[in-house]
Amino acid sequence: MASSDEKPGLMPGQEDGTIPGKAMTVGHQMVDKGAQLMQSLKPINHMSQQFNTFALYSHDMSRKIETHHFVSRLNEAFARIEYIISEKIFQALPPDEQKLWHSHTFEIKEGLWINPRVPGLIENSELQTFAKSYGKFWCTWQVDRGDKLPLGAPSLMMAPQAENTVSKELVKKRDEKYQISSDTLISSRSNIEPPEILNSFADHWKISGKGFAIDVLETDINTIAPFP
Amino acid sequence: MSTHPMVPGEPTKTGTTMLETATAAVQKFGPINGVHQHLCAFHFYGHDMTRQVEAHHFCGHQNDEMRQCLIYDSPEADARLIGVEYIVSENLFMTLPDAEKKMWHSHEYEVKSGVLFLPGVPGAIQRQDLAKVAQTYGKTIHFWQVDRGDNLPLGLPQVMMALTHVEKRFNVNFDKERENRAYMKGLEHGIHPLANAGGKGLKTELREVDCHGGAGAHATPRVFV
Repeated sequence: MASSDEKPGLMPGQEDGTIPGKAMTVGHQMVDKGAQLMQSLKPINHMSQQFNTFALYSHDMSRKIETHHFVSRLNEAFARIEYIISEKIFQALPPDEQKLWHSHTFEIKEGLWINPRVPGLIENSELQTFAKSYGKFWCTWQVDRGDKLPLGAPSLMMAPQAENTVSKELVKKRDEKYQISSDTLISSRSNIEPPEILNSFADHWKISGKGFAIDVLETDINTIAPFP
Repeated sequence: MSTHPMVPGEPTKTGTTMLETATAAVQKFGPINGVHQHLCAFHFYGHDMTRQVEAHHFCGHQNDEMRQCLIYDSPEADARLIGVEYIVSENLFMTLPDAEKKMWHSHEYEVKSGVLFLPGVPGAIQRQDLAKVAQTYGKTIHFWQVDRGDNLPLGLPQVMMALTHVEKRFNVNFDKERENRAYMKGLEHGIHPLANAGGKGLKTELREVDCHGGAGAHATPRVFV
């Protein structure tokens, strides 16, 4: 019915990349503001870090995107979510689950992963922790293929694992935007170590040559709870 | 910084907390700063109506016709991020391809029944915004099945649905609010027949595919010494 690797049907809309829909009226903005003053937004206010890197679609690794974490954005949309766990927790996962996860060491050592505006000294102490972590990364809005709204099934994302996976032009453009040099980062991160796990099923595509697509299918719906 | 009791792993160390306070001071959080509303509702799994999850939405407007929300399992600081929801006006919903419409659910019943609400906001104010929500459709994906006891986001993303008809167990607490919201207009064209999966269930499956031009797909993994 819908698959992460199929092109969605046509939709009308503007070509300039903005999200369709009218601008908020002043009245509506005021209602919003009023409500906002009365609510505490604890889980959101709890977010405290941002980093930027590159990712690939598991079902089509020729498509690379620049991503901004903790909330991944492109045109300010919540397009992707990534969960990150330590190698110790990852180790306990069954193989089929591990195949949905990726390691971070390569993108960190290659200077693809950066923490915008955070000085290097602070950044490096965190990076060793991240370099030993694993991520599970879902995309719900394929903005890079021009989707004006979040269409289709969610897609699984993967992390770069080899040189030249992400083009030099893309990296150069990113470096210029943040006034950094990936080459300098590569030298300063040469001491960062990978996870110690052997026989991990993360980044499984490197061995199998296969990625994963997600299908959303119609099915019968269960309406009766099991007898307790 | 608290640690959720159900999530495995060491509590956050003081050093990490200090680092994050420092980074929070210098980094910009554009999209997060746009989140300004807490909305509480229930979702059920697209293939199983009996599994229902309390969903705390933290939402921001992209424009008057489109909102996006991060969904947590509680309103506390240590809440688990379990999914996302996109909310669009009836007009935008009509522009979606037919196959896409099936993954979206209507909000009319949830709002008018009182099940969906804004915690902490007086009734008269929240009804101003909820009257608009009653005329929208949502697409919800959950990544973390906390209701089955998962202490990590395992498995595949799940397409979620919302209540669209009388569900007796929820009526008891919401009768008064239902009366207060009786004035709200629902969808101008009624609930689209393709929305809410057309009454069917939805499930997600994984399929292996060729990598497609991934440089390094068969490269020897690097070994760092």
